[in-house]
Amino acid sequence: MAQLDIRGLVARYNDTTVLDGIDLAIDRGEIVSLIGPSGSGKSTLLRVISGLLRPVKGTVSLAGETIDYGDRRSLRRARNRLAIVFQQYNLFGNMNVLRNVMVTPVTIKKRDRREVEAEARTLLEKVGLGDKLNAYPDELSGGQQQRVAIARALCLKPEILLLDEVTSALDPERVGEVLDTIKLLAAEHMTLLIVSHEMAFVRDVSHRVAFMAEGTIQELGTPEQIFDAPRIARTRTFVSRILGHRTAA
Amino acid sequence: MHYVLHYGQITPYIPYLLGGVLISLALSILSFAGGMVLGLVFAILRNEGGAAASRFVRGYVAFFTNTPQLVQIYVIYFGLPDFGILFTPFMAVLIGMTLNAAGYLTEILRAGLASVHAQELDAAETLNMSRLQTLRHVILPHLFRVTMPALTNQYILMMLGTSMAAIFGVEELTGRAFNINSTTFRSIEVFTTVAAIYVVVTFLATILLALFSRWAFRARVPVI
Repeated sequence: MAQLDIRGLVARYNDTTVLDGIDLAIDRGEIVSLIGPSGSGKSTLLRVISGLLRPVKGTVSLAGETIDYGDRRSLRRARNRLAIVFQQYNLFGNMNVLRNVMVTPVTIKKRDRREVEAEARTLLEKVGLGDKLNAYPDELSGGQQQRVAIARALCLKPEILLLDEVTSALDPERVGEVLDTIKLLAAEHMTLLIVSHEMAFVRDVSHRVAFMAEGTIQELGTPEQIFDAPRIARTRTFVSRILGHRTAA
Repeated sequence: MHYVLHYGQITPYIPYLLGGVLISLALSILSFAGGMVLGLVFAILRNEGGAAASRFVRGYVAFFTNTPQLVQIYVIYFGLPDFGILFTPFMAVLIGMTLNAAGYLTEILRAGLASVHAQELDAAETLNMSRLQTLRHVILPHLFRVTMPALTNQYILMMLGTSMAAIFGVEELTGRAFNINSTTFRSIEVFTTVAAIYVVVTFLATILLALFSRWAFRARVPVI
């Protein structure tokens, strides 16, 4: 049984169809990356899975349990099992780093404060922010904020982690640390769905890669297939443009 | 033009005037607190309460910010008794000031609510925060942080505005100044002393509120 099973997912912003029949099954411990041009629906797919945008058609199931996006309890159960790290970090500006990481486990999940704090400190050490516990988001760089956001998501101990462009704001020497952290999560059997424009990162970390365009998955395969031998012209054009640009840069 | 200033005649009344300061502070703090509660409810209703609630709030704000506060208190103190509703002068002024403050505070708080980042609300939602938890942990701290300078100004205006309570016989600072003036006929000494007391009180209030804003909400408010 797939850990995350998406079938026939359709979503719209007003009258515009942004996801047009997405089918994707991800196994436990599998890392799947979504690539594609801006506006292809990658981030929207993560928003729909996490319940920020209600689908108009199709289903999303977590380990066999279909999420009823119209039912608060069902959505709460689902959100207890998955976490999302946003492109814009989405940290709480009024809370320091430690409190950003601790607020949900302590306030919402009612876990023991000391236990959570110990975990939060360990996680923040792991992402290289052990000395920024009392800093506020507006005192951190974009990369630092993103790492806090990752630590916040990890502190929830999710079964599935959705990562929306998490490396885009990181300084180069931190990308490796995040990559290592993500690999560690894979070894701990966490299921990851990643949206990224960082092709080297995607290639390195993913088990499978989905190329999206116009709200649909155009091609799904191993990183080798997608990057070295794409089956459709659209993927080939996108990959060659991106890789060509990276090489030129 | 041979008036000689005799502040010595006012000195014995200083403790009496300071007692009036306490009443002014009580009026301004209570009406500000009441106005904040009403203003917050109205601001939320205006933003999220649907068309009817939004219309009601718009009407309320328009009425209370476009009519003189003195007239509003006159209606409460002199008008409502015709319907069998009687208030003491203090209560009439307190209610009037609260309702008036709610009009202005609604607009200040509404602007603050509009500035809450959508991303933070998304995060709160995906982290399973309820609406109440989101309000408590995300929205209100942000709201107070960004609106503290405007709220401080509003409070200072209200503190100074308590002087109109004297018209209704409330013996707050200005009311007591009237009493001293009618006994001593030392108008310049009395009212310049009272003005100086207002300056000190509002100056201290501004500093205290700025320190509180910095401590509680990390608001970037200059202390002086």
